Amino acid sequence: MADPGPPKPLELSRYCVPFTPFRGKLEELSVCLVSTAAVRAKDDTPFDTEGDVTWRVISGEAGAKDLRYDDTHYDHACVDRDMNCVFPIDRLRELAVEGRIAGLTARHFSLGYSQALRELRERTIPALVHEVDRERPGAVLLTGG
Amino acid sequence: MQRSIELVGIPTVVVTVEPEETRQARPPRALSPRGFVAGHSLGRPGDAALQRRILMDALGLLVSEPRPGEVIERDYGPSPVTAPGTR
Repeated sequence: MADPGPPKPLELSRYCVPFTPFRGKLEELSVCLVSTAAVRAKDDTPFDTEGDVTWRVISGEAGAKDLRYDDTHYDHACVDRDMNCVFPIDRLRELAVEGRIAGLTARHFSLGYSQALRELRERTIPALVHEVDRERPGAVLLTGG
Repeated sequence: MQRSIELVGIPTVVVTVEPEETRQARPPRALSPRGFVAGHSLGRPGDAALQRRILMDALGLLVSEPRPGEVIERDYGPSPVTAPGTR
């Protein structure tokens, strides 16, 4: 069946909290990481630190040492030494090896810094959510900067 | 973003260092390490034990009593950055 593409954004009162129950056990959970910390593979195109409404795909095979960040808005003392501070991909992999979770999805995602809120809301986020959905994760872990 | 992912039927949990801002966004599930600053969501560099603890607590919210719209704040010791004005 042809991919229908991202659906139109749904208007929802901010007083209403969308909530999807998690059914199952953590040991059966496949986790997808989604970050707004401007993380990318080291050989991928850098984010524009002045404002960027695109996202980067990060392979589930990547380790923290394979990642870089492009940011001028959060404290870098931690990420300069250990990307797991904002993108805990090594820690998740360890939990998977130990059987505490089932694993990681094949793709993970990061956004950069942007104040273009309308563009994010109407275009970027619906398209990104569609890609996240295609990974069929058991749950998504979100991190900021 | 988090709310949009829940709307397509995927459970989510956010680790936030800005609990007030996150609370205003009415998150489905949120963990905030108390006093931590942006860039240090999972704690100190190289402190795998602390990173794992915060990570497991965050994932644990998936199997905890639902508290949609709330931000669960927990103490994980002193903030990784103690000097003011480091953000």
